[in-house]
Amino acid sequence: MSFLSYQHFPIYSVMALFLGAFLVVLFGRSKFLRGLIAFCATAIALCCMILLIKPVMLNHEIICYWMGSRAMAGGYAIGIAMEVDQVSLFFGLLIATAVFVACVYSLQYMDHDDNIPEYYTLFLMLAGGVMGLVLSGDLFNMFIMVEILTFAAVALTAFRNKAFGALEAAFKYLVVGCMGSTAILAGTIMLYAQAHTLNFAQLSDLIPGNMNTSTIVAFALLYIGFSTKAFIVPFHPLAADAHGAAPASISVLISGVLTKSGVYAILRLTYFLFQTMQLGSIQFIGSVSMFVCVTMALAQHDFKRLLAFHSISQIGYVMTAIGLGTGLGISAGLYHAMNHTMFKGLLFLAAGAVHYRTGITDLRKLGGLGKKMPWTCVLFLIGAASISGIPPFNGFASKWLIYQATYLKAVESGNIGFLAATVVALITSVLTLASFVKVTQSVFFGQLRPEHEDVKEVPAGMIIAMCLFAAICVVTGLFPNLVTDYLTGPAANAALNPQNYISSMLTGEGVFKTYEVFAASGVWSPVNWLLLLMIALLGVTIVAVLGKYDQVSESKKGELVDSKFALFFGGEQTQYSQVGGEDLFWGLKHNWRHYFSFMHELHSGVVNDYALWAVVALALAMVFLQIAL
Amino acid sequence: MITYNYIAAFFLIALGFYTIITKYNLIKTVIGLSIADYGVNLLIISIGYNPGGTAPIFTQGELTTASYFVDPIPQALTLTSIVIGACVTAMSLSLVVKLHDEYGTIDTREIRRLRG
Repeated sequence: MSFLSYQHFPIYSVMALFLGAFLVVLFGRSKFLRGLIAFCATAIALCCMILLIKPVMLNHEIICYWMGSRAMAGGYAIGIAMEVDQVSLFFGLLIATAVFVACVYSLQYMDHDDNIPEYYTLFLMLAGGVMGLVLSGDLFNMFIMVEILTFAAVALTAFRNKAFGALEAAFKYLVVGCMGSTAILAGTIMLYAQAHTLNFAQLSDLIPGNMNTSTIVAFALLYIGFSTKAFIVPFHPLAADAHGAAPASISVLISGVLTKSGVYAILRLTYFLFQTMQLGSIQFIGSVSMFVCVTMALAQHDFKRLLAFHSISQIGYVMTAIGLGTGLGISAGLYHAMNHTMFKGLLFLAAGAVHYRTGITDLRKLGGLGKKMPWTCVLFLIGAASISGIPPFNGFASKWLIYQATYLKAVESGNIGFLAATVVALITSVLTLASFVKVTQSVFFGQLRPEHEDVKEVPAGMIIAMCLFAAICVVTGLFPNLVTDYLTGPAANAALNPQNYISSMLTGEGVFKTYEVFAASGVWSPVNWLLLLMIALLGVTIVAVLGKYDQVSESKKGELVDSKFALFFGGEQTQYSQVGGEDLFWGLKHNWRHYFSFMHELHSGVVNDYALWAVVALALAMVFLQIAL
Repeated sequence: MITYNYIAAFFLIALGFYTIITKYNLIKTVIGLSIADYGVNLLIISIGYNPGGTAPIFTQGELTTASYFVDPIPQALTLTSIVIGACVTAMSLSLVVKLHDEYGTIDTREIRRLRG
């Protein structure tokens, strides 16, 4: 086998990232060298993943790679293996793309910080950990990678340790994350005790159908352990804390990459290792995450904390769709997972750009930056439109598929619970839009603060990184059929035929079933929607230019402009009597005040409470699975 | 009896989690994490145990029933797990030191600026 054979590419991509991490330590004193090493490492990983699309996605091959050529002996998988099927490659592509863009962004974004070599080391360790996790074919290797990525993520959360709450967030994440890792290790070893192998394919061959109390406890432990990595309910407060304090490029990795590792692992557990996708519990937890986190986001004042709650809300969509157990559901969930990485990355980078120039992430202290930072504003709007599901951007395509998948499942199974998931998904989408209207108004429109008069646009390198994400958002939204045919479709087929995964590892040959195509039904032409959007934007521009662009003139600032606002401001004469972003949903917040104050009390910020939630979730998962299986 | 090992292992894991939940001192939280980790280590090493087994050293040419040894894989896993446990302790203690510098306390009830 030549060294450039594609069989080697998975290990190359993992190696490039880890090797880069060590080389940065050696040569990190030079600004040019450390940037070059990090750029090359992430670019190599991305290239390896892209080159694997042809054999794995198009030719439906599954790559089994034995470390040191220690293949199966006597029916037992003793060696360490990497197994790359369509699901692994799909997540690998997402991770490589997000890591590459985040690396391009950090080249200029991290200028203000010191200890930058250490930053790149941890950055590449985190990237390599997640990459290793999704490409690994071995349960214990997955645990090692989980530990690497947890440590790197904790260290990076506390990287700006003078930032508000950074240390606190890191400690909380460390405590609950390590409880999760302990659970994963305990689950792994309990499976080993039953099956005497750690190879994923062989476990998937032995465990389903031979479930006993011990394997069910192991399933609960593994599931809760990986939930802490995906940050789904009840682990969402940790994500919010970690995102708020970490640098923006790390927020991209935590939301777009680290949570995906949890989603990937849960998908592997439910569809391959235990084959228990009929339970529907993951769909339930996904729906709960979706709703709880979007309402939590409505009450936030911090830019990145708000985005963090939205991030988990979108992961809720992914889990809801994946938990359905249908081909369309998995396809929709993976599509949304991909879109989530792209648009959430874009939004975090835009938040980072605002922080880079103003040093503020508090929404109440920002405003009117649209004119000062036009590129950031436009790119943020693309991201906001994508996450809110406005056609023709990518969020619409995947949410549309999710609505269809949940509704079809409800029709097929006659279970009203799936219909409820559709309704929750729709409501969440509306609330997401509302929340982003508020953010856009608070940050980019409205009154410019006097202290931000001399704010400039961010450097070109950061804009290029944001443009990369925005371009992917637009392209995957305009050509949803390409995505469902070549990326999510093969992955959904792989998830529905675990036998293929198992036999390619154990016997070297896959069992190919008939290949199904999962696509949205109904006529849907994104290009027309793009034209419509452009016409609408043109109309708005013309009206804004021709009509009187209504602004509060300097002379009137001192007095109350019009008494008709007295209704909103209680008759108070304020200097700026414009409606700010915070005032937009005052009525909604007032009506839901009991819910919001209850949630505020619940998310107490005490680490003991979050640990208690983790243990309660573990206990509930064990009891539920014992009853259900 | 190996059953006692399993009972002790799960008791240690539960004790560790109990410590994390009920103790408000950050140092004790770290101790709780370590105890849970030791519990898992004990579990791993017990799973690899064979009654009457010898050390897992394979020498050429004498593979008989007398050379029946304990499972070496869990031992390798335990070593890895011990190293990771040490890292957890080191890193969390360093964070505790930093937290004490910034907040002036190590009571979890007072380290809650991020909430809601």
